[in-house]
Amino acid sequence: MTATLPSRQIPAPVGTGRTRGRLPFVESLTPYAYVAPFFVLFGIFGLLPFLFTFYVALFDWNPIGDQTFIGLDNFTRMLADPRFWNATANTVSIWLLSTIPQLALALLLAHVLNHARLRFALFFRMSMLVPYITSVAATVIVFAQLFDRNYGLLNWLLGFLGVGPFDFVQTTWGSHLLIAVMVAWRWFGYTTLLYLASLQAVPRDVYEAASIDGAGGWKQFVHITIPSLRPVIIFTVVTSTIGGLQVFTEPLLISGGVLTCGPVRQCQTLSLFLYEQGFGQYEFGYGSAIGVALFVMVIVAAIINYLLSSRIRAER
Amino acid sequence: MKLRTTTPLALLAAAALAAVSACSPGSTSGGGGDPNAFEFWSMSGIDQQRSVDQYTQKHPEIRVGLTEVGSSQETAQALTTALAGGKVPDLVLIQGDDLPKFLEQPQNFYDLREFGADEIKGDYLDWVMAQATAEGGEIIGIPTDVGGMGVAYRTDLFAAAGLPTDRESVSALWPTWDDFIATGQRYVAATGKPFVDNVPTSVFYQAVNQVSQKYYDDAGNAIYADNPEVKEAFDLALRAIDADISAKLSYASEGWNAALPRGDYAVVSAPSWMLNSLRRIAPDTAGKWDIAAIPGGAGNWGGSYLAIPRRAQNPQAAWAYIKEMQAPERQLSHFLDVGTLPTTPEVYEDPQLLAETEPFFSGAPIGRIYTQALLGLEPFHMGPDTATIGAEFLNALVDVEQTGGDPATAWDRAVGNIRTAIGQ
Repeated sequence: MTATLPSRQIPAPVGTGRTRGRLPFVESLTPYAYVAPFFVLFGIFGLLPFLFTFYVALFDWNPIGDQTFIGLDNFTRMLADPRFWNATANTVSIWLLSTIPQLALALLLAHVLNHARLRFALFFRMSMLVPYITSVAATVIVFAQLFDRNYGLLNWLLGFLGVGPFDFVQTTWGSHLLIAVMVAWRWFGYTTLLYLASLQAVPRDVYEAASIDGAGGWKQFVHITIPSLRPVIIFTVVTSTIGGLQVFTEPLLISGGVLTCGPVRQCQTLSLFLYEQGFGQYEFGYGSAIGVALFVMVIVAAIINYLLSSRIRAER
Repeated sequence: MKLRTTTPLALLAAAALAAVSACSPGSTSGGGGDPNAFEFWSMSGIDQQRSVDQYTQKHPEIRVGLTEVGSSQETAQALTTALAGGKVPDLVLIQGDDLPKFLEQPQNFYDLREFGADEIKGDYLDWVMAQATAEGGEIIGIPTDVGGMGVAYRTDLFAAAGLPTDRESVSALWPTWDDFIATGQRYVAATGKPFVDNVPTSVFYQAVNQVSQKYYDDAGNAIYADNPEVKEAFDLALRAIDADISAKLSYASEGWNAALPRGDYAVVSAPSWMLNSLRRIAPDTAGKWDIAAIPGGAGNWGGSYLAIPRRAQNPQAAWAYIKEMQAPERQLSHFLDVGTLPTTPEVYEDPQLLAETEPFFSGAPIGRIYTQALLGLEPFHMGPDTATIGAEFLNALVDVEQTGGDPATAWDRAVGNIRTAIGQ
């Protein structure tokens, strides 16, 4: 291998560097300059605000008044705040309710859409993306009307079956379910297409061989589709965890813009709580502390996810 | 070679430029020290464009950049962000409930006495002015309107329930809130349908605004937990919930909007600024509504103020606008156009105001009804957390009404939540 290395990449002898001229040095910077635009923008809009959040979290920070350094007080206050734990529990509940069905549904759909004998496959594959490209606000308006206690289509149908009406917005489980349905509905198409793209790389022969060997659809799904999708399943689990911990728009809109998302904060997620403290109460310091906590949770969840997913891979 | 080395640098420079220009959103708009232009932020839905148009018609040389930011809360949030370091407007409309937070930090705004607010402050209701005056005496806002209170009711539904329909007799049905609840029970017994849209906003919010002291005493101490007047308003709301007269629809929610035109509730407490919403949401019910007096006498809900941020580029033009458009006769004409109630008591006896009737509400004399609700008003002190405290009390009541919270412990839960929220 070393023989194929271009000779100019062999380190020059010490002391001759300067005599070789400035140009190669500048040239060696060129790749950095090409990647610089992203990192400059990331630094300004990503890293700086991010570090600043940590800094602000140490203050009693009134955006239009005084800023007093209070050390870790915001964090001790947060850990003793029932609203914080309530928001955490809501977030986890909504995340579980939305992610698990969403990924399971996407797996099944991808398996079916990949089927060789499916007619109009392209049409079905394209329509998967429709929920994803629909604006969240539009989604929420439609779902809020469907799920309304008194005038919603769903409760009207349930009425025929002799059950209900259920109040999906004002009850804890109902609001979690409603938000989870909206999140899952929006993302399952995207996830399906990710799975499908991966499945396309699996040679058809494998499925054909399985059919010849007498394996049915379900067996093919379990023994071919899922194993070949492992890397992308891990990827979607991690990304939907990160997304699920940051759910914001859906709960905000189903409660009509009320930052507590209901009288007993029954659907207030962590990002909504963060926003309420920061921009509703103007407590930037406390809001930043919640932001830091959210960040830590996302990192921890991503690591746990990754470890679990890779363990599953190792065991099988 | 030259090209190869300069290109990345140029790219870098372009990126930096893009970054810098992206840093200051909204910095393209006018102002810029031009004495004939100013930026004005308002909340949407209260038709400030009409005032602006009138002003620029009279003063064609002035350019007003009006931005309707959003709801009152969104406007206050945008203003906070702007004050914290963005580009501020020259003039901003702040809703009464949001004002105390800004009043705590008066250094962010021009003390309007610098422009002569002292000379005109006598034109406005004393207690309204007091709510825009900071501890050190700085006046940071001039009031544009007040709420005033009334009860909007459906005459056709009242008739069907065997209740009187003319506004005098209806007002006589409920001199007190307990009479209001009793009337509601009569209505429900006769029709089997809910009487009022919801208890927390239509009963509690009204009653708690009819007190002499609310969540703070006159010295500014938080007394929400010990104030018997607040407790009485809360208990009244619990009685109303217990009487089962409510449609349990949160104000302005999807269900509330859907139920309004269908007549699924017969009464809704309506401060003057809400009349526009009723007209907009239920245009087909025109003529079926009327307005009666609020139980329990005088009270106020809502109202807004115009303020000038300290870093405004053209405060003089903004002040000229305030002074002219908020003069008593202009507030009167704005009322005749839009229906927001003046804050200038000298026009309360004006024949035009007293004669103003509203066909949508069966020709109700809205000027007379709403000014009546203000005249006997006892002003109370608003503190920095007035809005938060009010929201937590409201939440506790919504919890009892809609999600099955235990009424026996509702008060304690509310007080506990307030303590967590405001830390005292």
